[in-house]
Amino acid sequence: MNDGPLIVQSDKTLLLEVDHPLSRDCRAAIAPFAELERSPEHVHTYRVTPLALWNARAAGHDAEQVVDALVRYSRYPVPHALLVDVADTMDRFGRLTLANNPVHGLVLTTTDRAVLEEVIRSKRVAPMLGARIDADSIAVHAAERGRLKQALLKIGWPAEDLAGYVDGAAHPIELDQSSWHLRDYQQEAVDGFWAGGSGVVVLPCGAGKTLVGAAAMAEAKATTLILVTNTVSGRQWKRELIARTSLTEDEIGEYSGERKEIRPVTIATYQVITTRRKGEYRHLDLFDAQDWGLIVYDEVHLLPAPIFRLTADLQSRRRLGLTATLVREDGREDDVFSLIGPKRYDAPWKDIESQGYIAPAECVEVRVSLDDEERMTYAVAEPEERYRIAATAHSKLPVIRRVLDRHPEEQKLVIGAYLDQLEELGTALDAPVIQGSTTNKERERLFQAFRTGEIKTLVVSKVANFSIDLPEAAVAVQVSGTFGSRQEEAQRLGRVLRPKADGRQAHFYTVVSRDTLDSEYAAHRQRFLAEQGYAYTIVDAADLAGPGEVNGPDWVDEPAD
Amino acid sequence: MSTEAPATLAAWLRTRSDEQLGALLAARPDVARPAPADVVALAGRLAVPVSVDRALDELDAGTLQVLDVVLLAPTDGLAPDELIAALPEVPDDVLAGALEALTTRALLWGDDVLHAPDPVRRAVRHPAGLGRRAVDLRVQLPADLPAAVAELAPEERAVLEKLAGDRPVGHLPDSPDGGSTPARRLLQRGLLARIDALNVELPREIGLLLRGNHPYGRPRRRPAPGVVTRDPQVVDRQAAGAALEGVGRIGELLALLEEEPAGLLRSGGVGVRDQKRLAKALKVPEPDAAWLLELAFAAGLLDVGGPHRDEWLPTRAYDVWREQDLADRWALLAAGWLDGVRLPSLVGVRDLAGKAANALSPDLVRHTAPAIRRSALRVLAEQPAGSGLAAEDLTALLRWRTPRRSDRLAPVPDMLAEAARLGVLVSGVLSTAGRGLLAGGEDGAAGGMRRLMPEPVDHVLAQPDLSLIAPGPLVAELADTLAVVADVESSGGATVFRVSDGSVRRALDAGWSATDLHDFFAKASRTPVPQALDYLIDDVARQHGRLRVGAIESYVRSDDHGLLSQVQGDRRTASAELRRLAPGVLVSALGADEVLTVLREAGYAPAGEHPGGAVLTRPPARPRAAGRRTGSEAHPAPRALNPDDLAATVREIRAGDAALAARRGEAVRQVPGVTTASTLELLSRAVREGVPVWLGYVDAQGSGSQRVVQPVSLAGGFLSGYDERRGENRTFAVHRITSVALVEGEAPEGSGG
Repeated sequence: MNDGPLIVQSDKTLLLEVDHPLSRDCRAAIAPFAELERSPEHVHTYRVTPLALWNARAAGHDAEQVVDALVRYSRYPVPHALLVDVADTMDRFGRLTLANNPVHGLVLTTTDRAVLEEVIRSKRVAPMLGARIDADSIAVHAAERGRLKQALLKIGWPAEDLAGYVDGAAHPIELDQSSWHLRDYQQEAVDGFWAGGSGVVVLPCGAGKTLVGAAAMAEAKATTLILVTNTVSGRQWKRELIARTSLTEDEIGEYSGERKEIRPVTIATYQVITTRRKGEYRHLDLFDAQDWGLIVYDEVHLLPAPIFRLTADLQSRRRLGLTATLVREDGREDDVFSLIGPKRYDAPWKDIESQGYIAPAECVEVRVSLDDEERMTYAVAEPEERYRIAATAHSKLPVIRRVLDRHPEEQKLVIGAYLDQLEELGTALDAPVIQGSTTNKERERLFQAFRTGEIKTLVVSKVANFSIDLPEAAVAVQVSGTFGSRQEEAQRLGRVLRPKADGRQAHFYTVVSRDTLDSEYAAHRQRFLAEQGYAYTIVDAADLAGPGEVNGPDWVDEPAD
Repeated sequence: MSTEAPATLAAWLRTRSDEQLGALLAARPDVARPAPADVVALAGRLAVPVSVDRALDELDAGTLQVLDVVLLAPTDGLAPDELIAALPEVPDDVLAGALEALTTRALLWGDDVLHAPDPVRRAVRHPAGLGRRAVDLRVQLPADLPAAVAELAPEERAVLEKLAGDRPVGHLPDSPDGGSTPARRLLQRGLLARIDALNVELPREIGLLLRGNHPYGRPRRRPAPGVVTRDPQVVDRQAAGAALEGVGRIGELLALLEEEPAGLLRSGGVGVRDQKRLAKALKVPEPDAAWLLELAFAAGLLDVGGPHRDEWLPTRAYDVWREQDLADRWALLAAGWLDGVRLPSLVGVRDLAGKAANALSPDLVRHTAPAIRRSALRVLAEQPAGSGLAAEDLTALLRWRTPRRSDRLAPVPDMLAEAARLGVLVSGVLSTAGRGLLAGGEDGAAGGMRRLMPEPVDHVLAQPDLSLIAPGPLVAELADTLAVVADVESSGGATVFRVSDGSVRRALDAGWSATDLHDFFAKASRTPVPQALDYLIDDVARQHGRLRVGAIESYVRSDDHGLLSQVQGDRRTASAELRRLAPGVLVSALGADEVLTVLREAGYAPAGEHPGGAVLTRPPARPRAAGRRTGSEAHPAPRALNPDDLAATVREIRAGDAALAARRGEAVRQVPGVTTASTLELLSRAVREGVPVWLGYVDAQGSGSQRVVQPVSLAGGFLSGYDERRGENRTFAVHRITSVALVEGEAPEGSGG
């Protein structure tokens, strides 16, 4: 009996035993063709999907290598049928190729005439094709390149895209590594992306995705369009780029609600691009304003639907997607992969943590019992009101205060979703509140004060879910959220994951009302992080020990002297 | 021994040695039972058309070609030399082997000149694919046939060429307004014969003319297909993979059917809706669900049952099966498949009326299926370990082996695919376990698979995301328990379970307490139980049973008044028609079951309550079908004759034959009918004088025989004596003796007269 670390399941999931001596080798062997799905403590789950197999083919791996890796590391006999299926699936790739023809422009060519005939007859594909050139090739409207690839993928005959990318207008960009160095995994991510041409890089929050973007730009040395979620995060990008690359302030433009600058490197918000006036998108010209050589999509899991459509037209430009959590509650992950590109790099959070690049975090769920009056209110409430009532219960307030008291010296964030609750907390805790209506200027000021330590506690709404770089924050207290959103949970944890100067731990608290929808949603929200290996500790509010008490936090939080 | 050539089949049979007769009976066992009384009776049985067809069906193409040569000889009787000359390209040893096969089966007879018995001539309709002679077809051929054929138009000649191939009979194409087609023109010229309204036949003479140098067609040699070679160890490992998969799937399928049986259609079988449901639950394509249903049924693990006999349920055999080790479980499936008389591949195939066949429908029974499966696998078993044949090569070989049965070979590719799914076969190569199955049945199969099967594990790994991973096949007890307390998320070599509030609630409903669950997880998990899991159990347990529902028109009560208000105020429970009876008690006009359902659907965790106040748990008994007797119900093939049987039968025939001869050599005094005074007198005289008697005797089973007996005594209605031929002392009931004659002087052996 083979004693490998891998167990191959009938549904093509692969279970990898982490503590096995061969697990590292095995992980390297299966990573090209299997997607990491879950990475909890003992056994990681990968999934072999057709998309992953085709990407492996596109990256130069053949079926034999895949089968060999499965058989070599598998603990139990692998069903032959599964291996045959893997080989068959991989064999479908490359029957069709998209290439540039000097005479006919973009051309779809086949090595298997029957496949081309099948594809031509597909209702989904037919409208995107042009004139038949000969028995084995057919012209394609250049603008349909992305949509065609997407449609072909859906009918199971992926096309190998050999049409390449335009270089875009050259613009010198260099990384300025005098005071820092690109980390190994960042370099691997950039290499993976560059070799593949386009694609998505998945790294935990706080692991330096911006630098991956910067390094990709340095690789492209061309004009770059960066799409971000909001203005504050756009300015963060700008700061980072100025600090870490040869780019100067003048070379970087901001294209937002406030300013409309177009420079060799332009940072635009999703919001401004998708703003419509009289039913028309007003700012689409931006995509044609420059001969962009690279387009970077920050927080690609938030990509709004109109941008999907626009992206389909940009298939000849290099595209880099950056995210920490590619779980979309709308299930459109596949569209991200087919339009931006496949996942080029992915690392388990715990791996990065063990390398010291993100802070270790303690996740605690604090359970609060509602008082009788609140319970009655909850009990008779309309279903749609239930969650709000449970999440904003007043009984949470003393507990939140107690949690904050455990960490007197830390920079703390209190994160919530309901504005009146936040206002109330702000007053009670005597802390400034940042929410949607706070002006960008005010936001910048408060964040700056927080960074310098002037303000110890900030109360923030979901504007702080993303892309707010607050390296000093070490404690986050989550008091309410957007129902059961898994990625919101992960992004919020991300706010405290920046490594601390002295390597100390980050703390992530979730305060929930016991026996209500609040705790049900909390359980759902935690799934993503639990699957990433974060173990939640559940504590009763009454048992929450203060600093120095039994089971309380260590004195690390205290000032040095 | 007479030196003169025997003139009839019976006479020739008489000249054969005991071994040769034994070989004949072994090759054509249908004529050996019941034992023929004598050689004449044997010759008669050999002439029965069914028996001849059966014997011919088992011959390979090469042997049939040799037979064709004899059948096509202008006169009856062909010397072996002429045979060799007729098939110059066939090697001598092949020819000798074919002749041996034909004479052993008495499909040809004669030593110096080969004769074909008439029944064989009738059974081979178109020898060598040639039509009947023009005379027999009542066609007047042109005088100069070669010239007539030479001047034909190409399309006409093409028709003739086609009919000169394997089949001389063709379908007359429809021609609108009776216009002239090549075939019709040929008919007019007298080059084709019309045999009925639709079909035409090519006269033999034209066929021979067109074939030229190869009147019997190309020599039909055994195909020599390319052998597929694979490392036997790899084959076995992959077979084991398939076996694990199969056993796991069947287990899941039956567990699902235990939970919710599939309905029995009025036409038999399982409905499409149930099949879809099972496929979805098992996460397999629908055809796979049908295959699993068929496999479970073939293995006797699934059958019709239930109180109204209208449901498909796991059988009692399933309870035994799931306790067995993996190899035995697999062996039962494989053996069930091998001997199953159904063709699972026909599920979903539309019949002539356009109706698709359902899984487990009675229409899928084909009694020839086991024989075909075995013959196909046997071909592979002849290959050395690690070698096999591609499916199409195997089919070609089978077609050569039994060309007269080639119409039966259609399901072979599907059967091979099924064998591959089971792990009997891996890409054309038989696995060790597959060989074991073929040679040693269930035990052989289990033996071949046992060392490849992983050891069952008795623990799981609990993880913080509330998943439990069983890193291998589970011991039955743990698997049962986990099925209650967790949901299966993925199965295969390992099983991934997930604990959810639903599954914990289910466990509590089944009578577990929170403490039981904590203890169970602590014991079953090799990793520390995550705190989240403990909290989940406590949370659900705390809520579980807080609502109690009674049966007398039903009530809902709780100590938790807030909760009751919530229930009463909940729009989703409006259908339960609850109203507050007293503080802490709600009542409903509906039955308890309906109320429970409404509350559960609305997301509460109510518990049913016994009149005594105890929490109701689900009944422990699981539904079962009675199931078939396991064993060889599906064995249409008779028991093979063993050497002792053969020897005894040959002895029987010889004795009968001698008796026949003896009777003829004597002035017979026959005593017809029942026991008469003259019979008794004759018998007592024989006893007195020590003269052998010829007896016609009917035994207790009603089969008649003739014997020559040296009588010893006659008493109490029984004659005892020594039957020399059979070498036995026997007692004969006088009332079963049909005729008696004295034998004067023992006739010498084998003198056929």
